[in-house]
Amino acid sequence: MLRSVGVISRRQPLLRLFARSQSSNALTKTALPFTYSSSGPISVKYTAQHEWIAAHSDGIAFVGITKYAADALGDATYIELPETEMEFEKGDSLGSVESVKSASEIYQPASGTVQGANGALEEAPQLINQDPMGAAWIAKVKLNDLKDLESEDLLDLEQYAKSLSHDDH
Amino acid sequence: MLIAPQRGPLKGHLVRYGLRWIRSQVPFKLGDDSSKFTELNEMYTDMFSQNTSGKTVATQSENYKDMIDELNKETDQLFNFQSHKLHPKELEEIVKKPGRFIIQSLSKNPYYNLALENYVFNNTPSGHDKHNKFGNQRLLFYVNKDCVVIGKNQTVWKEVYLTSLAKRGYELLRRLSGGGTVVHDLGNVNYSFITSRDEFERDFFNKLIVQWLTRVKPEGPLALSQRGDIVLGDKKVSGSAFKIARGKSYHHGTMLINSNLDQFQGLLKPSNIAGITWKCNSVDSVRSNVTNVFLNSTQEFMDICSSGFKQHYGTADRNIPILLCDEEISEIDEIQDEISRLKSDKWKYLAGPKFCLSLANENCSITVEKGIITESSIPSIVGSSFLDFTKDLDSFQFIDRNLIL
Repeated sequence: MLRSVGVISRRQPLLRLFARSQSSNALTKTALPFTYSSSGPISVKYTAQHEWIAAHSDGIAFVGITKYAADALGDATYIELPETEMEFEKGDSLGSVESVKSASEIYQPASGTVQGANGALEEAPQLINQDPMGAAWIAKVKLNDLKDLESEDLLDLEQYAKSLSHDDH
Repeated sequence: MLIAPQRGPLKGHLVRYGLRWIRSQVPFKLGDDSSKFTELNEMYTDMFSQNTSGKTVATQSENYKDMIDELNKETDQLFNFQSHKLHPKELEEIVKKPGRFIIQSLSKNPYYNLALENYVFNNTPSGHDKHNKFGNQRLLFYVNKDCVVIGKNQTVWKEVYLTSLAKRGYELLRRLSGGGTVVHDLGNVNYSFITSRDEFERDFFNKLIVQWLTRVKPEGPLALSQRGDIVLGDKKVSGSAFKIARGKSYHHGTMLINSNLDQFQGLLKPSNIAGITWKCNSVDSVRSNVTNVFLNSTQEFMDICSSGFKQHYGTADRNIPILLCDEEISEIDEIQDEISRLKSDKWKYLAGPKFCLSLANENCSITVEKGIITESSIPSIVGSSFLDFTKDLDSFQFIDRNLIL
């Protein structure tokens, strides 16, 4: 399925692709990861492994997988969620998404302690296909340090979109 | 396995080489018959050597070993395939280095084989080469002795009859990939194709297998089902599961060659059993009729796919080696740790999704999270592990143990 996304992107002019990736991989403005604080997240970053992280000024961040990743994986059948109070280093496996028979790992984009997991995904894993950038957030994390989001390997939306178009699928 | 079966023009050379090897072997052969020559040997030893006889024999057989190693090395260089089992250090080096290869495991131990597969997958470099292509595709083969393997996100007690497994000597394993439950025996061969996350495509490798096997037997009605399974007529011969992590992916599958299919009966539970209801979000197995594919041996399947893989991925300047691994590889800490994890109750019975089961007749319900009973109509069992509860089932005589185990 990743391949079919690649085929579309090759056929589309670069600019149009940017607009498309940016809108689809942007945070949903009406769901908790955005509305958690009244002013919205102060930083939204992306990893090369297709996770997103949205951090608020009080050091709370939400983590999920991008629209691109959710589309590529297809219909989700089970989401493995992290345990509350568990401390995760950056790069640790936070959980996984099982879709039509594949199990795909989700990694912690920045170190912190899990304060809660999205229980809605237990009952309705397909939520991850419907709103991966919002209602289907995976973990709510208390970050060790907000500054960690300035790390070079975390991309902003534009960089992430660019990385998708440069990927050689 | 000094001389692997090989098609094409190399054959003649190999046979000649083999003869040379056999000829050189004869004078040194230390079989039972050698005892009658002991006296003679000792005499010569005394005559021509200052050492004691024992030492000389040892040195000779060591020389002999060296010679074989030397010969093997020569063969490898000549024909670019490995004929000896990889040492832990060699495995470590080749896995971590970029490049394509094929591994055939000689072990029949399922824990070892899953750990080896995981090791190769984790340590395969994820980066792209200078042409911005992923060049580290790997293909593994292994055969496991009797065992039942459940998917990562499945519930053990829902999928298998643990009592029959134990009675009939089948090991139970939980693998690291998704999907449903499968039965392995020595007539089934497992393949594992590693590539990048970007190149991951569900049906890619099974399409190749169908193509390769059809070439061998064009009249065999082998095809890919809508679910991406390889089928012979309307029966499944192979099951697949997939894993994606750290920029890489693998597709591993089973292939039934000469499995004792009658023996598989009664190991896996049907989706519905009267008297018990499972409420869980775990992944369901899709029950299918299975049959053996038209090959003679698991080795034949490995040979066909190895040569297909070499053709598909080999280049003029780089042949793809076939490497042999056995259990000494488990000296690598990472493999040893993984074997321990796969064997642990924590991974087998305390991992996996939350589930709730209710027994209709007994009016009893149990909710289990991460292996621990969190709610139940039997208050005394709340807080203990479901595994311990099943071990102690006889003290709950109102429960029909056959419904759970």
